[in-house]
Amino acid sequence: MTDKPVLELNNIGKFYGNIIALKGVTTEVLAGKVTCVLGDNGAGKSTFIKILAGVHQHDEGEFLLEGEEVRFNSPREALNKGIAAVYQDLAMVPLMSVWRNFFLGSEPTKGVWPIEWIDKPKAKAIAKAEMAKMGIDIRDTEQPVGTLSGGERQSVAIARAVYFGAKVLILDEPTSALGVRQSGVVLRYIVEAAKRGLGVIFITHNPAHAYPVGDRFLILNRGESMGNFAKSEITQSELTQLMAGGAELEQLQHELEAAMARD
Amino acid sequence: MKKLKGLLALLFAFTLFAAACGDTSDEADDPTTTAGDDSAETTEAMEDDGDEGEAPETTEADVDLTQGGDLTFHMITHSDDGPFWSVVKKGAEAAAADVGVTLVWMPGNNDPGKMVTDIATAIGEGSNGIAASLPSPDQLIGPLQDAVAAGIPVYTINSGVNDYQTIGATSHVGQTEFIAGQGAGLRFNDAGATHVLCGRQEQSNVGLTERCNGLKDTFTGTVTDEFVGLDADQTEQINGIKALMEASPDIDGFLGVGPVIAMSGLTASQDLGRDVVVGGFDITPEIIDAIEAGDVAFTVDQQQYLQGYLPVVLMFLEATNQNTAGGGLPILTGPGFVTPENAGAVKELVAAGTR
Amino acid sequence: MTPSTTRVADATAASAAGGDERLAYRGVFARILVRPEIGAAIAAVSIWIFFWAVSVPFGLTSGAASILDVSATLGIMAVAVSMLMIGGEFDLSAGAATGAFGIITLLLVRDVTGEMGGAGLSLWFALPLSFLLAMGLGLFNGTLVNKTSLPSFIVTLASFFILVGSKLGFAKLLVDQIQVGKMNDLAIFSEDRASDKGYAFFNRIFAAEWERNLHQWDSRDAFYTFGVVAGLTLLVIALYELRFRRKETQNMLGLGVCLAGIVLGLVGIFNLHNTRGTQGDVVGAGFIGFGILVGFIGLAMWRYESLNDRGGLTLTADASRPLILGLVALAASFIAARYFDSQNSEDIFFMVTEQGLRAILFVGLGATAAVFLLISSSRAGYTSQTARSAVLMLTALLVAATAFFIRAESVTPKFRTQVLAVMLVLAALMATWAVTTLLFAERRSPDDKAERLGRTLVIVGSSLAVMGVVARMLFVVQAEIDAGAPPSKFSVRILWFLGFTAACAWVLARTKFGSWTFAVGGNKQASRQIGVPAERTKTQLFMLVAGAAWLVGTLLAFRLNTIQASTGDGLEFEFIIAAVVGGTMLTGGYGSAIGAAIGAIIMAMAKQGIPSSRWNSDWRFVFLGVILLLAVIANDFIRSKAEAAR
Repeated sequence: MTDKPVLELNNIGKFYGNIIALKGVTTEVLAGKVTCVLGDNGAGKSTFIKILAGVHQHDEGEFLLEGEEVRFNSPREALNKGIAAVYQDLAMVPLMSVWRNFFLGSEPTKGVWPIEWIDKPKAKAIAKAEMAKMGIDIRDTEQPVGTLSGGERQSVAIARAVYFGAKVLILDEPTSALGVRQSGVVLRYIVEAAKRGLGVIFITHNPAHAYPVGDRFLILNRGESMGNFAKSEITQSELTQLMAGGAELEQLQHELEAAMARD
Repeated sequence: MKKLKGLLALLFAFTLFAAACGDTSDEADDPTTTAGDDSAETTEAMEDDGDEGEAPETTEADVDLTQGGDLTFHMITHSDDGPFWSVVKKGAEAAAADVGVTLVWMPGNNDPGKMVTDIATAIGEGSNGIAASLPSPDQLIGPLQDAVAAGIPVYTINSGVNDYQTIGATSHVGQTEFIAGQGAGLRFNDAGATHVLCGRQEQSNVGLTERCNGLKDTFTGTVTDEFVGLDADQTEQINGIKALMEASPDIDGFLGVGPVIAMSGLTASQDLGRDVVVGGFDITPEIIDAIEAGDVAFTVDQQQYLQGYLPVVLMFLEATNQNTAGGGLPILTGPGFVTPENAGAVKELVAAGTR
Repeated sequence: MTPSTTRVADATAASAAGGDERLAYRGVFARILVRPEIGAAIAAVSIWIFFWAVSVPFGLTSGAASILDVSATLGIMAVAVSMLMIGGEFDLSAGAATGAFGIITLLLVRDVTGEMGGAGLSLWFALPLSFLLAMGLGLFNGTLVNKTSLPSFIVTLASFFILVGSKLGFAKLLVDQIQVGKMNDLAIFSEDRASDKGYAFFNRIFAAEWERNLHQWDSRDAFYTFGVVAGLTLLVIALYELRFRRKETQNMLGLGVCLAGIVLGLVGIFNLHNTRGTQGDVVGAGFIGFGILVGFIGLAMWRYESLNDRGGLTLTADASRPLILGLVALAASFIAARYFDSQNSEDIFFMVTEQGLRAILFVGLGATAAVFLLISSSRAGYTSQTARSAVLMLTALLVAATAFFIRAESVTPKFRTQVLAVMLVLAALMATWAVTTLLFAERRSPDDKAERLGRTLVIVGSSLAVMGVVARMLFVVQAEIDAGAPPSKFSVRILWFLGFTAACAWVLARTKFGSWTFAVGGNKQASRQIGVPAERTKTQLFMLVAGAAWLVGTLLAFRLNTIQASTGDGLEFEFIIAAVVGGTMLTGGYGSAIGAAIGAIIMAMAKQGIPSSRWNSDWRFVFLGVILLLAVIANDFIRSKAEAAR
């Protein structure tokens, strides 16, 4: 892995009319490293992810993929360029089998158009093998994704992105709906994905989840960047504080302490 | 282009027809006159089948045509200008041309509200006679009573056989479904049928049920009265009839109370290879072809041309000669029957739009 | 159906065999039968048996022809609509569209009568042209749904009204009728014109008919018997292959025993054949039953390992409760049958005759008893194979006893011979299964070779049986002609139906488009994010429905020659109902084409069964509603059970 970033953002901004959704965001994603994007609700995380994944386009700043300026018009385009997004609740079709979900949109086919069919044995074998590589053991790839646990579902999506040659993997709040143990499982897959050479963007509002796995931290608040740090530059408590908008959290802390003292 | 061809054909047909009758009318270019001449044919066809209700026809020749020049009659119906009502309209227009009166055709398009305003308009215009259909008596009896109170002769047509006396109308010109069914029953008796299936295409239509009830009244054998499927799904209709015919192997007659279901009954009996006397109601080109080919025994015809023609003539006679036909009873326009004997003639009349 | 045993203690056995220790190996019936369509299929068979029992024409070949005729056009639409529903949308214009495309085709080929007449095109142009218009309708519906993001229920409701109005409007404008005819006039033209505009050709494609009475084949019954017997045999062998663990070395003695069983069975069949089966020859039946037992035990001896740990004959409370309930239900059904008078056709309650009440009680209680006994046998199997086999054997004996009871109690030959034969075969198979599962060991780990062989045998066996039945339906024998066989016509529409269903099932199961259909219906956002062209997929599904409507409209035009303006109006809900009866989810993302086809057959059977049984048509929709409700409940229940068995 080189030190040259896979993905680089310089002063990215996005406006909806006169509303500033995102402004002055700068960060980089290195191959094999995890960049965490932290922010409270409404901090602009979802706008950020949508720009990266090609759902929206940025209005100002530079978006460099492997050193080249890019601008995506559709999620498909971003995917083709190697940016795969895994959404928290939209990642899977619950009633469909694991292998169909794994290959959805990129099914391996046999035959010639118009008589084309999915190479089902191949698809099932690959799905099982790829999941095994990530350390996920799926009993039966025919079982509906809906029967998997939340963590397993995320992991199917991650394995899928890895298999389809993603250079950058964006994970949108993968742990927010999960219990402690399931979150741990997902964090392990995140590290696993990074180890396999992907640049990972891990979006979360939980610094406790971000700090152990992250190599770089971008903190957003109300659409603006509150800072962009390497792991060596910041501690977890600093991170937590920054994330909630520093002073505001201190204020809250004082208020809480005062309230406790009254009891 | 097509229209022109059609007109030419009509003109040609008329010329031939006129030549055959030896009648050189001076209004050769007026299509309604053509229709009027055809109506005479209609009456003859009906007389072949020997039924009641054409008494007023004979008085027509005695009337001085010049007397009615300034009379205006209104025909206010729930017409949707569909195939049925367009024949009524043609009849009324032909009669108006024949006796020389002005006719105002006011189609209500199944909207009683419009009919109520139309009746008021007619009264306001000082109508010399109103012929109205009565699809919803509750709304229309009042306005028509107003017309009677205003001294305007009123006739009900098509529907209203139960209410024309309440209104004070001179008479009703139409057919009752029960009597039509009775006529069909007699036909099945003549054909020697023993068990007739009366197939309905709607489950809860009073008129259709009445047709079957009429059949039960006059038919001497057994009648099975069933709903067998909607016209919208003829496949189901055909197979439903088949199932009933197979469940009762002695069924040897089928009365479809509409033209489509009659054809379904024919298909079903042909599929089963059974010798079934098939009768139907109303006229479509298909059923007339089938009658001509001898596959269908008859279809009951309401002869709605008369429902347009007769009221105009009756109102004319009432206005000019103080005649009141009907003797307080309804004047029936049917049932007429289309059978293999007259199917060829009727076919031409259907093409001309008078049957 | 014998439920599979669920096993708790199996984990060790499976891991020893090298399988995935978490994968509870499913029982043989679960493996074969767990398909989304199984619930609908069982409901369909039950309804068929029901109407077969209560009506005369329903069970005849001509009845089957009628059912298939009604289900053909309904089924084509139901399958297409179910695909659209899987994709998460509805098309309320589907019904009206069937009539519309029939009318359009007719208007394009006509050139006679009416104010403006028709276009007078040849069918070679008219059919592709109306097909293009159908694609246009699909495109219109799909684009509108995608662009407006309105519910398709509303958008296609608008299309529905537009279609209904234009059908009537154009028919009256162009031909001055509320119907457009006549397709077969084209054939008449061929006499004085150079061409019939392709009518003869397309009539063969869309309306060819097979008249059974014109096709005599006197060895049909031999073929039928062979097909059914061989097919059933192969199916049972397949069950064995899927269920039992193979031996290292084969035991040739078993092969000999197996042959002896076959000989016994054949002797029985010939015995029955010579007595023509009408007497319900007990000796022949006994030979066959014994032959089945011996033959299959021999087969198992030859190939499979024997079972060592059988467990004792003890019933847990869990198993004995349904056993007792089952026995009580059976006893009650016998008492009901004896108590009520089978000849009394007078109403004793509202609309129910004594005769009818007797039949309902007997069949209902009998079926309940069977279900309870099978549940008991399954539960007994949790702890002891011996107990399980014992209960199953008892059930088999009771089935045989019931068969003879029915014969003694009924007068019609239908019940005296056919039911007896079927139930005795069933009893023999159950008894055989009880004995063999007790004697031989179950395979509890995947064995690809055995699995493949088993599945191949299932397919070959069912094909043979189906071929036998189809031959019986399509051909007539001299005896039937002498007895005055009612004519039965099988139309090419049935082939269109089967072909269309097969194509759609294949597309759903095996192609990208199928995957995308499930995906856009299951989770549109997710599938779009992942790169599935959601809008395009939906539009194509709307086009598929419109294309099916064109096909149905064309089939109807050739069938009926004249299309009413009202044709198909209001049928869109029947299509949706058929799809739902067949297991398609109203919310999208789940369903099956074959299920929808079976749903259409269920509806056709209900519609045909009511007049066949001479039930009062005033109550028709009550019957229809009850049958459909029962079918849906049964489907849902069986499917959920089957899915749970995964």
